[in-house]
Amino acid sequence: MWLYLLKRLALAIAIIAIAVTLLFLMIRAVPGDPAAILLGPRATPEMKAQLHHQMGLDKPLVVQITTFFGGLLRGDLGFDVFGQKPVADIVFEQLPYTIELVLFSIFWAVVVAVPLGCYSAMRRNSLVDQVVGVVAVATLAIPSFVMAVYALLFFAVTLRWLPAIGAGDGFWDGLVHLILPGFAIGIGWVGYISRLVRASMLEVLGENHIRMARAFGISEWRIVARYAMPLAILPTVTILGVGIAWLLSSAVFIEVVFARPGIGALIVNAVTARNYPVVMGAVLVTTILIVAATTLSDLINAFLDPRTREKL
Amino acid sequence: MKNILDPVSRRNFLKAGAALGGGIVAAGMPLSQAIWAAEGKVLKARSAINYLTFDPGFYALNHEVDVMNCIYSKLTRYKPGSHWEWELEAAEKIEQLDPTHIRFRLRKGIKFTGGHGELTAKDVKFSFERVIKHNSPVKVDWGSLDHVDIEDDYTGVIVLKTPFVPLWLISLPSAVGHIVSEEAVMKATKDGGTFGMKPPAFSGPYAIADWKPNQYVVLTRNPEWSGPKPGFDEIRILPIGDTKAAERAYLAGDIDYSVISMDSVATFKDNPPADTKVEEYQSLNFSWIGMNVDHPKLKDINVRKAIQWAINVSQILDAAYSGQAAPATGIIPPGVIGHRDKSLVPPEGDIEKAKEFLEKAGVSDLALTIDCLNDSTSSTIAQTVQAQLSQVGISLEINSQDGGSFWTVGMESEGERWKDLQLILLPYASLPDPYYPTSWFVQAQVGQATNWERFRSERYDQLAAEGAITEDPNARATLYQEMQDLMEDSGAYRFLTHVGEPIVYRTRKIQTATRPDGYPLYLDFKAI
Repeated sequence: MWLYLLKRLALAIAIIAIAVTLLFLMIRAVPGDPAAILLGPRATPEMKAQLHHQMGLDKPLVVQITTFFGGLLRGDLGFDVFGQKPVADIVFEQLPYTIELVLFSIFWAVVVAVPLGCYSAMRRNSLVDQVVGVVAVATLAIPSFVMAVYALLFFAVTLRWLPAIGAGDGFWDGLVHLILPGFAIGIGWVGYISRLVRASMLEVLGENHIRMARAFGISEWRIVARYAMPLAILPTVTILGVGIAWLLSSAVFIEVVFARPGIGALIVNAVTARNYPVVMGAVLVTTILIVAATTLSDLINAFLDPRTREKL
Repeated sequence: MKNILDPVSRRNFLKAGAALGGGIVAAGMPLSQAIWAAEGKVLKARSAINYLTFDPGFYALNHEVDVMNCIYSKLTRYKPGSHWEWELEAAEKIEQLDPTHIRFRLRKGIKFTGGHGELTAKDVKFSFERVIKHNSPVKVDWGSLDHVDIEDDYTGVIVLKTPFVPLWLISLPSAVGHIVSEEAVMKATKDGGTFGMKPPAFSGPYAIADWKPNQYVVLTRNPEWSGPKPGFDEIRILPIGDTKAAERAYLAGDIDYSVISMDSVATFKDNPPADTKVEEYQSLNFSWIGMNVDHPKLKDINVRKAIQWAINVSQILDAAYSGQAAPATGIIPPGVIGHRDKSLVPPEGDIEKAKEFLEKAGVSDLALTIDCLNDSTSSTIAQTVQAQLSQVGISLEINSQDGGSFWTVGMESEGERWKDLQLILLPYASLPDPYYPTSWFVQAQVGQATNWERFRSERYDQLAAEGAITEDPNARATLYQEMQDLMEDSGAYRFLTHVGEPIVYRTRKIQTATRPDGYPLYLDFKAI
């Protein structure tokens, strides 16, 4: 297990380093000058040169990237000349909004989808199973931003039950503001996870140890919950780890539609403004999140299924 | 995440209870109304931008001034209404002594918050001069400002190097005219440079109570303000970049005042939400299709004229703005000195004339490119132009790009892209004096941040210089009209529109007050 952990950690660091280096080179390869955008048309060449100097853009690329990684080792993500703030402050100001959105979406999707998947598997080919199947495919087919707009029009504009924009203040207000965007992002996952759970549950329910349990007269619900679920849930855990990346990209659209603060909106604005330090900082943090989530899902897999550990 | 421990307020409880429990109606009212009824007078308005600074001497975006108007005082301010006029604010008297000297006398008793004392002529001097001293990107707004002489605590003289007529409409009542506390700013910044998002002291009727990036700016009454009481206890401005999202927020009752898109005007007018008024204002913005006169394919003026005549502006506006925007006659909108009643090339153009110009140029099978922003309006305009030019045998390739790339495409300092630039669709924001928009097209701007058409005219430059010092409005109007004639006659410009600034607001809650271009003057808003 420890060897596995070390391997995963080394891989995670390599992935992050490669991703950040690629991004560093890519963002500088596209045309655009942060000084021209920040200072506007009224800026003189001297003002632009001064800003380039402040941002370190007057140094060779190798020096810039070395400086960035050097700062990273000291826990310094750089300084945003646009906002006159450390990049870390800006990123960690916005990050909680995206994390709460992603976690809320995953949470409600899992809470709804896992029982649905189990029920569909236990009542295979029943009316409920068929209805769940059709609805699941339908929700998968609808992009989250389309769902977001229609949910917003119905629940916020027509019924006026829920707020249309923003992230709210405080816990309860924040929770209310999460419902619509969380619904829009999570609904597709309900369909996906329920289908996944159903398929793996059907496979597990056909295995010898389950048949043995049935022979002992253990109730079907107990068999599902105690003996089948830990195995059937494994693919879902793996998918959820990968799904964090997908959810983060969905969050970009959702943050625009709901005018929510968050890391997605931050990255989009920073890319448009060619605000390199903020782009780098924000992408670095999201890359770490994604890598951490996939690593965590692998570890949970290894924990739940000893066979996985033995293969290492 | 720290908000998780915040106490549960009644408002939050009401909202959460309504949403989670399904009980969304409080005493028969929509939730937002129930909240409004229970709280003080709160104005919830939309801003199309995320604020980058609250420092008036270093402002980055025109709409930042909406907040600055509320939290700082300035000598003069724009008069609400449909004409570009100013009136006294912090000054009780202001007079032009001669073309380069303006004396002001401050009202007594305007206090800075935080114990930074009374607003004096020393603060005026500091505020105006720091823009020049610290080489602010917006120092051009001060034109030829040299310095400010202090006569006594309340009196001073603004001294210009050369006459600068636009000062009355683009400097004093606008962003750079706001007065900050010398003591507070020096304490906060050490050198008097920019303080960004952290104003060290307020001197207006409101103070910033809270600001969360991408979320809101909350303004509450400044307890040290002794002037007339503004209409609202609190102004909550929500940055919503996407106009359609803002419209949905308005319909949902989350905001009570917003700019809407031109293509939604008809919908809002035909099917207005309850207690809603739609108003349309003449924006100062202007957009046009420019042509790089130095590009080999566009060097011949006959080719450029052919393109001018082939473009049907009315059709473009129908496609891009649902016919809600009026064609522009130049770069100066109606209501501003120098506006032309009509353009040299009529909005509809003339295909036959375009073909004649192409024949004269001896050009056939012309293939061109047009660079534009990647938003839907710009794309629609570019596609319409593409279809129109194809009628005269010109094929057009559209290069859509994000703002980061687009706003440097014509700059010589940004590589070689300017050499390939042919047609370009440009939207600009402006200020209410002709000096401002016309200054972008002088020869000194060729290949810089503006003038990507590389338009050169000695006469134009001469008129631009005269415009800044000419006091007679009629004489100014004549010379600025001639400047636009010169631009259009060069074939390098096809003016499109000034768009418009449509707003919606809830009549049962607010009475609005705006500048002639629809920018909100929140201090003059009244609660109903």
